[in-house]
Amino acid sequence: MYAQAFFVAVFGLAAIGFGVVVFRTSSMVRSALALLFSQTAVGCMFLAMQTEFLGVLQIMMMATEMSIMAIFMVMFMMDPGGMGGMDMTHQKRFSIGAGVVAAGVAIVVAFWADWGPVTAEAPDAAMQTRALGMELLGRSMLIFETAGITILTAMIAATAVAIPVQTTANSADKEDTE
Amino acid sequence: MTLVLIVALVTGAILCGIGVYGALSQTNLVMIMMGVELILAGALVNLVAFWRFLHPESYSGQMFVLVVMTVMAVEMAVGFGVAIARFRAKGSVEMEEAGDLKG
Repeated sequence: MYAQAFFVAVFGLAAIGFGVVVFRTSSMVRSALALLFSQTAVGCMFLAMQTEFLGVLQIMMMATEMSIMAIFMVMFMMDPGGMGGMDMTHQKRFSIGAGVVAAGVAIVVAFWADWGPVTAEAPDAAMQTRALGMELLGRSMLIFETAGITILTAMIAATAVAIPVQTTANSADKEDTE
Repeated sequence: MTLVLIVALVTGAILCGIGVYGALSQTNLVMIMMGVELILAGALVNLVAFWRFLHPESYSGQMFVLVVMTVMAVEMAVGFGVAIARFRAKGSVEMEEAGDLKG
């Protein structure tokens, strides 16, 4: 039990530490990498809590997602390397206050709530994966299918939004040049 | 065992707080999305801890985790779509310069 608490705490501290670095560094590439390490530490927390499938899924998904995010950062930022020392923040005091209040309220609830009896043993990894598969293709199939359709819709919507609008003026210019 | 649950819940709470700070304080759209990702990571930690320590017999808890991961992916896809459209139109994804998006 103490070993599990130790590893959950260590990976939790790593997730928090890298989470802070995301908004402390002026280099956007470092920010994306710090977020990747933070999310990986969260995945390791899942592994320490004996949730193997979700832990591996989290690490694999976030590795891909944050790599794409780093590319977008370099594409879109005015100062991706942070060499210019630009300040890209606003309403700092209000944001710090809101963050502290959000975390504080959640921590108070965590300590004050009566969570009831805590289970010591978790099902083994193979049993968990099998049971989750049965859940996905059984009782929760509608939710699972809805999640799939939502991702498909988001992909189509994102592509539609990103495609440049072809105006009639642009088309006329194109025809003139041809 | 309650100790591990509390450690996980406190970690989730602090991650959520850092995410709230990031989402409110950053002026760049991609950085704001990073803040939202951290908020959702905090929610994920809480959901996994609740499933593992309170209801390991019910797999609806793990189902919730998959739904939150879906929300993360959807947020990234739509956010980058909007970022590309905004960058094409105005040459910047700075939210300080996006006052014209107000209704």
